[in-house]
Amino acid sequence: MLPAWIVYRKELLEIVRDRRTLMAIGLAALVTPLVLIVVSQVSTRTATQTYTIGYSGEIPVGLDILLRATGLKLVTVADPSEAAKHEVDLGVAFLPAQIDEYFDPNRQSAQIADVRLQTVLGQYDAAQAAAALKSRGIDPGILTPMRLVSHPLSSPVQAASNAFLSFFLPYILITMILTGGFSAALDSSAGERERRTVESLLLTPAPRIQVLLGKIAAITTISLVAAVAAIGSMFVALTQIAIPGPGGSAGHIVLSPAAAPVMIWLALLIAMSFSALTLALGTLAKSFRQGQAYVTPLYFITILPASLILFIPDFNPSLAYYLIPILNAVLVLRDAIVHNTVAWPALGVTTISLLATGALSWFAAFRLFAREALLTRS
Amino acid sequence: MTAAAVAVERLEKTLGTNKVLRGVSFEAKPGEIFGLLGPNGAGKTTTLRIICTLLSPDAGTVEVMGFGTRKAPEEVRRRIGVVTADIGVYPRLSARENIEYLGRLCGLFGGELTRRVDGVMERLDMGSFAKQRAESLSSGQKQKVAIARAIVHDPDVLMFDEPTSNLDVLASKEVREFMVEAKGRGKCVIFSTHVMHDAERLCDHMTILHHGRVIASGSTDEVRGGRRDLEDSFLALVEAN
Repeated sequence: MLPAWIVYRKELLEIVRDRRTLMAIGLAALVTPLVLIVVSQVSTRTATQTYTIGYSGEIPVGLDILLRATGLKLVTVADPSEAAKHEVDLGVAFLPAQIDEYFDPNRQSAQIADVRLQTVLGQYDAAQAAAALKSRGIDPGILTPMRLVSHPLSSPVQAASNAFLSFFLPYILITMILTGGFSAALDSSAGERERRTVESLLLTPAPRIQVLLGKIAAITTISLVAAVAAIGSMFVALTQIAIPGPGGSAGHIVLSPAAAPVMIWLALLIAMSFSALTLALGTLAKSFRQGQAYVTPLYFITILPASLILFIPDFNPSLAYYLIPILNAVLVLRDAIVHNTVAWPALGVTTISLLATGALSWFAAFRLFAREALLTRS
Repeated sequence: MTAAAVAVERLEKTLGTNKVLRGVSFEAKPGEIFGLLGPNGAGKTTTLRIICTLLSPDAGTVEVMGFGTRKAPEEVRRRIGVVTADIGVYPRLSARENIEYLGRLCGLFGGELTRRVDGVMERLDMGSFAKQRAESLSSGQKQKVAIARAIVHDPDVLMFDEPTSNLDVLASKEVREFMVEAKGRGKCVIFSTHVMHDAERLCDHMTILHHGRVIASGSTDEVRGGRRDLEDSFLALVEAN
């Protein structure tokens, strides 16, 4: 039996008996769907919520009906500009030749109400113009000499589903891989040193490279288990969330076929790289607590740039961006989810980048694990 | 003349800026308890760590059962068992699992592993806590686990580094008895301690280290040198050096 396999089995046994790791995985599996359900309910409520317009003056005929139908409630106020500060979401003064609108851009409710008002006014203006032309015997079609006919290439429900997944899935995948193996990596390195078991381990004839290999394999396994638990529970939760489609239809969020294998491949690469990296950092530490201080910044360093990219819509990076570990995984996964295709050059560069990161981390972990200071510094 | 089980020659080692060993030499034979004595910081633990290949010497050589630590470190580790004062056990493994794990890494499997583990557990009277997780064991029980895993692969050389310093009187007595028993089975036992009373009772030969140098070496009687006890002799030697 290979020493690496012996170490792997023992590490896994210790991990499954460790409450900290099990709690982290269990919490992730519970919290992920909970967050998604809350997000879904909040967005549904935002979409169907009624906002209040405080107005003065005479409302043009028929406009009040359109506004109420769009979820805008009308109340009369003495001063719309004052009312818009706190009392109502939007202040509107209907004057003979214009409409003055007052809103606070710092308030999200005001922004939504503003968008709704603009939409309704646009429709109202178009209807009024069409009616005026018609009364003069002119075809209202002259208002739209180039009529736009939209032909969506994929279903709007699938597009919404893809947008949702491209935002959440990479984030959850990377977070869970990092945090799932976090405790196990520290326990296996700094913890082993703190408990003084590292000496008895290194006293066996097992080659150190094999001992390290067994440890990294065990941490990789538990990282992947954590990611699978979180993503699995996320998809179970998503079966309960319906996305409204055109004509009152509704659909569920599903992962595009191209994204699934890409996700698995990336998860494996990230888990292997980060297991070695966290183990190396843990080996530098003299205690579990010190290890936490070393490893925690790693999480922010890696996840923050990747998260920021998710907030930049239509970010089309050059191939060079795919050399940046983690960011490249987020971009490749996002492309696979949104476009249901695999951009092979990007995936190739990403794979090389993550493998190189992994190899460097393994080398660093081995050098640190083999140094004398591991035993002499206490 | 019996060949040395452990032969240490002109060992030198610097850790950081501290020159810990300055030409340490000695030989320990099979079937004897060899004392490595000295005050704290004398270089005893560093010497043991070099013998068991955890550290590399800056100069000098070590051979264990004919294998050099530089050329064949894995062969050396196969032939030694080490028990230290810092009893590190895997807390979430049972006493038996702790021993089995180290046994497997020493190349024992299947029936051979079971037989050896059963044997050492019986010899050390560990039956009552074999399945208990190590985190719930007493210091004495943990020390037994540490001894059991150090001897499960039946090494030719056993090294005890201050093995009784964290133990109560009864547990210490059991460790001492075990060393005598191992000597009786022809093992070379290297016993590192600063407790002169223990060394005087147990050791056949000894070397006294001070500031990384050998200041006395020989049989226990020779090192005592006609003084009332070993402690007197030790104090006189340390003060003279």
